[in-house]
Amino acid sequence: MIEVDGVHKRFVAGRGRKVKVIEAVRGVSFRAADSRITAVLGPNGAGKTTTLRMAAALLVPDSGRILVDGIDVAVQPRQALARMGVLSDARGLYPRLTARENIVYHARLQGMANDRAQSRAEQLAQMLELRALLDRRTDGFSQGERMKTALARALVHDPPNIVLDEPTNGLDVQSIRSLRDALRRLRDEQGKCIVFCTHIMQEVQRLCDHVVVVSHGRVMAEGSVEELNRRSGLADFEETFVSLAFGARAEPMTP
Amino acid sequence: MNSAWVVFAKELRDALRDRRTLMAVVLSSVVMGPLVLFALSALVASSEQRAESREILVAGLEHAPSLRNFFERNTLVAKAAPADFEQQMVKRQLGEAVLVVPQDFEATLARGDKPVVELVSSSANPRAGVGTQRLRRAMQGFVQEQAVLRLAYRGVAPALLEPVKVEERDLADPRARSAQLTGMVPFFVLMAVLYGALNAALDTTAGERERGSLEPLLMTPASRLALVVGKWGAVAAVGMLIAVLSCLSFLPAQSLMRSETLAALFRFGVREAALFLALLLPLAATLSALMMAIAIRCRTFKEAQASNTIVILGVSLLPLLSLFNDSGEQPWHVWVPALAQITLMGRVLRGEAFAAIDLLIPLGVAAALAAACLVYIARHLRAAATR
Repeated sequence: MIEVDGVHKRFVAGRGRKVKVIEAVRGVSFRAADSRITAVLGPNGAGKTTTLRMAAALLVPDSGRILVDGIDVAVQPRQALARMGVLSDARGLYPRLTARENIVYHARLQGMANDRAQSRAEQLAQMLELRALLDRRTDGFSQGERMKTALARALVHDPPNIVLDEPTNGLDVQSIRSLRDALRRLRDEQGKCIVFCTHIMQEVQRLCDHVVVVSHGRVMAEGSVEELNRRSGLADFEETFVSLAFGARAEPMTP
Repeated sequence: MNSAWVVFAKELRDALRDRRTLMAVVLSSVVMGPLVLFALSALVASSEQRAESREILVAGLEHAPSLRNFFERNTLVAKAAPADFEQQMVKRQLGEAVLVVPQDFEATLARGDKPVVELVSSSANPRAGVGTQRLRRAMQGFVQEQAVLRLAYRGVAPALLEPVKVEERDLADPRARSAQLTGMVPFFVLMAVLYGALNAALDTTAGERERGSLEPLLMTPASRLALVVGKWGAVAAVGMLIAVLSCLSFLPAQSLMRSETLAALFRFGVREAALFLALLLPLAATLSALMMAIAIRCRTFKEAQASNTIVILGVSLLPLLSLFNDSGEQPWHVWVPALAQITLMGRVLRGEAFAAIDLLIPLGVAAALAAACLVYIARHLRAAATR
């Protein structure tokens, strides 16, 4: 379970007279429960990636806190990270290493023994249809293949909480479908808490149980797709999203 | 520290897989030693050969039978200079000085007047220098002989010509003399280490940022210091590998030397190699940390390369300091990283003894600088990943 509680983050750019303050996140709160896929849906620049980076202890929130299974990320970042698998916006691989070596490297840094890391890499390759690529160097990989390798790397320590930032970028239809199946299985069979940051409505509609609409660094609305549709009085989820994120009543709306 | 080990193993493997870069660096460091020695020895050998040769170039020797007689008695082989020797000398095609004898030489000498001979050389043509010395000595001999003969004819003791006798005594032992020639060796070794570690240093810091693999790395529970120490260890290991290779390459290289004098003078045995390594290995580690600390602030590999030019420039300019500085070695030299090592390597080559403290000061400075750099990198890692 991941709890985001009143998190603020602002960036100060420049110095002296040219100083510019950017309010990236202004009070985001939501709860991503176990056995659920929670979508964080928002337009570009809504503060999704910043929130995610705070959850991954890369940034320290100015105020508010983030709890992962009850562990405060700011206080015990290493314990929190051990319980989290994050596929962030930056998902660079080491081009001179094979896919397997890339995955095993992160497994070892998660404290796994070599044997377990190897078998886990095989297992994830099976799940993500990476088997044929496993022992090839990643510098020739397509974007989709890179994405799958990065995803396997993020999930290698079998974390109870999974945070994915735009994981379907660059994937073809087949791969998107198998990723969706894999995520559903993780939710249903293993009771994982999955947070899915995206700006693609389709993905949210097909996959997510709970939607958190974020815009301008704030949570604008929360609920299931049907609930949100009902509340906005619109049949189409895209229309609902536009009205919630950019609509005339840009006031936060909570259930 | 287990994660530091994991990072070290991965970075080392990554660096060793970068074959093309590694081969270029290793080859240049291994080949450089023999090449420098070979070029140096060829230079010395050719100048030795010319110094020993008894050939001189003279224009118009037919006008001076007495001079020819003197040359022959002193086993100097006088050859006629080419007609256009002045042009050749200016164009640097002729590497010898030329003595020009005027037509009326013999007659003027017989009259007791002063005939004028010209010693033609070009100071823009350094090769002619050796020949100039030889010709000047030959002419001095001739002049002295003439003077002695004339004094003896007048019944004056020739010893009057030389009221004071000057004898030369050279204090430099062979090693110290050779160090003048081989003084550039430490500099070459140091540059090899620097360039060897550069690529790995940039790849593990700025390269990681550019690829976007730093952020995922920081999302593992490994501590920042462990990550930095692991990376540094790998970079330093590459630098040390280059140091070992380039030092050892001088051992077999000595057999390639063409000048026997230089071969006798350049004494680089196992002891010297070991002392070089004792100085170079800690420095390789420190310079690695320094280059990484500079690179971590840069977003791309290219930017980091540009920023690190300062380090490379600084290290390559340090030998000039001791070159331009007439006052020689200063006590503070051993406190400056790189300068200390160059100074001490010079002392090793000259065969001078040095105390343990001379080794300990640079070691301490290197350790302190490396530690400061590592802490700096660890502090900047998070900011680097998110910016």
